[in-house]
Amino acid sequence: MSSLQIDTLAYSSRLRQLPPEHKLLFAIALLLITYAADAPVQLLVAVWLSIWTVVYAGIPTSVYFRLLSITTAFWLTSLPALMVNEIDLSVLPSVQTDVFQGFTWENYYIYLSHRGIQQAGELGARAIASTSCIYFVILTVPFTEILNVLRRIGCPELLVELMMLMYRFIFVLLQTANQIWTAQQSRGGYRTRKLWLKSLGLLIGQLLRRTLENYRQVSLTLTSRGFTGNFRVCHSRQYRSSRRYSFEALLGCAILLILTGWNYAIRI
Amino acid sequence: MLLEFEKVDYTYPSSPQPALQSLTLRIPQGKRCALLGHNGCGKTTLFLLANGLYKPQGGAVHWQGSPLRYDRNSLMDLRQKVGLVFQDPEQQLVASTVEEDISYGLCNLGLSDSEVNQRVGQAITAFNLSELATRPVHHLSLGQKKRVSLADVMVLQPELLLLDEPTAYLDQLQTRDLMTKLRQIQATGTTIVMATHDLDLAYCWADWIFILNQGQLILEGTPQDVFAQREILEQLHLGVPLVFDVLDKVAEALSNNSEQADYQVMGNIPEPLRNRILDVFRYS
Repeated sequence: MSSLQIDTLAYSSRLRQLPPEHKLLFAIALLLITYAADAPVQLLVAVWLSIWTVVYAGIPTSVYFRLLSITTAFWLTSLPALMVNEIDLSVLPSVQTDVFQGFTWENYYIYLSHRGIQQAGELGARAIASTSCIYFVILTVPFTEILNVLRRIGCPELLVELMMLMYRFIFVLLQTANQIWTAQQSRGGYRTRKLWLKSLGLLIGQLLRRTLENYRQVSLTLTSRGFTGNFRVCHSRQYRSSRRYSFEALLGCAILLILTGWNYAIRI
Repeated sequence: MLLEFEKVDYTYPSSPQPALQSLTLRIPQGKRCALLGHNGCGKTTLFLLANGLYKPQGGAVHWQGSPLRYDRNSLMDLRQKVGLVFQDPEQQLVASTVEEDISYGLCNLGLSDSEVNQRVGQAITAFNLSELATRPVHHLSLGQKKRVSLADVMVLQPELLLLDEPTAYLDQLQTRDLMTKLRQIQATGTTIVMATHDLDLAYCWADWIFILNQGQLILEGTPQDVFAQREILEQLHLGVPLVFDVLDKVAEALSNNSEQADYQVMGNIPEPLRNRILDVFRYS
């Protein structure tokens, strides 16, 4: 899943005509709820946002779950560290209540901890919920629109311009790297470990050289197009807010907030 | 004369030999000019000087009779009147969507948003970019990027359009479309100069030809006159357009063929016929 594909999906998503501010606000609100809420509410957030992304925005299920599996994989790799404990046999009685399953190994006792399992569950729910917020944004709001929003809410001009140029040229850089990589491979540049390192060094060196060359060319073209030290562009895109989506978003957020509040109330 | 180079010298800091040596070249108003020459003969340098991006180290460049001034406002003005389309569109397109990229030059002129949007809209229709308007630049093919880079420059309504190897990344069909577009652009009164290696393209499209070699102007004139100087062009290893080659070969074959006694009398293709054939290959 390359960044180019994600970018293409964002441009063709069915929620494209909604104002980007609405989508960003929605995702930020849900992210905040995720931080405040418990695991069940977090799972609700994840499921609800998955419906938005897959059903409403029309992002292919396979792509969406492949992206989610990245998070899941990270979560899975952290499971042993969270759930498995290892203690000296002598202190076993003090943790007896925490043991779920365990066995003795020489002088040690190795066990799965109740608290650890609970923690892992909470962590998993939180991770899935917050990544689904991020994915909702990157899969339905094209990066250029995020930049426009940043500009409108008064983010420093310099930062926005830098991000805009980075976004434009990151693809040129990736393409160049890819071309060099292919050329090297077709000439057997990565056959052995030693060659591999040498070729990679060459690739990085070449990338730097070409970047500098590119920089010279781009500054020439910018000057030729009348660059005045301030990067301004216009666009004519018209957004239409949808009553149906706004209603669902507001109602859903309200329900989630009530659920979270209720949880807190019960605990007190 | 629209733009004149008078005895212009330019040497790159890193290079031992000059890119342009006391080059004198005058671009006539309203013509379709082709600038022919090998790689490194100074075509690109000439364009960068014409756009005020480089300053001549000797001699001067004149725009409509008055020498170029290199202060900020004059340069801004010049770059609006002289549009330069670079060879590699990848480096010319800087904004993230097609529409925004076309608006970039207009925004630099300090126009209001509504006027910018109106002119961008016109350019998008004129260059058949409606479907691509809101697409990000890196989703386009090279041919499409080339079209956008031409629209970028034409939206400023320049009086002189400079094209550096415009057909370098284009296939046959795209080249033909570009030529049609250029004809429309010229019809609105814009003078066009195209740097190219393609002799056949230059012959069929241009009505004024410049031959550049090692930073100097060797020949200039109408295509018929320039390409008639076969010896000079062969010396420069440039050759002549295919149609001239074909006609000369036919003439040679006719004069050598002893069985065809009738033709042998003529020994050559009659001048009017030759000219008619040459004419057919132009503006095609």
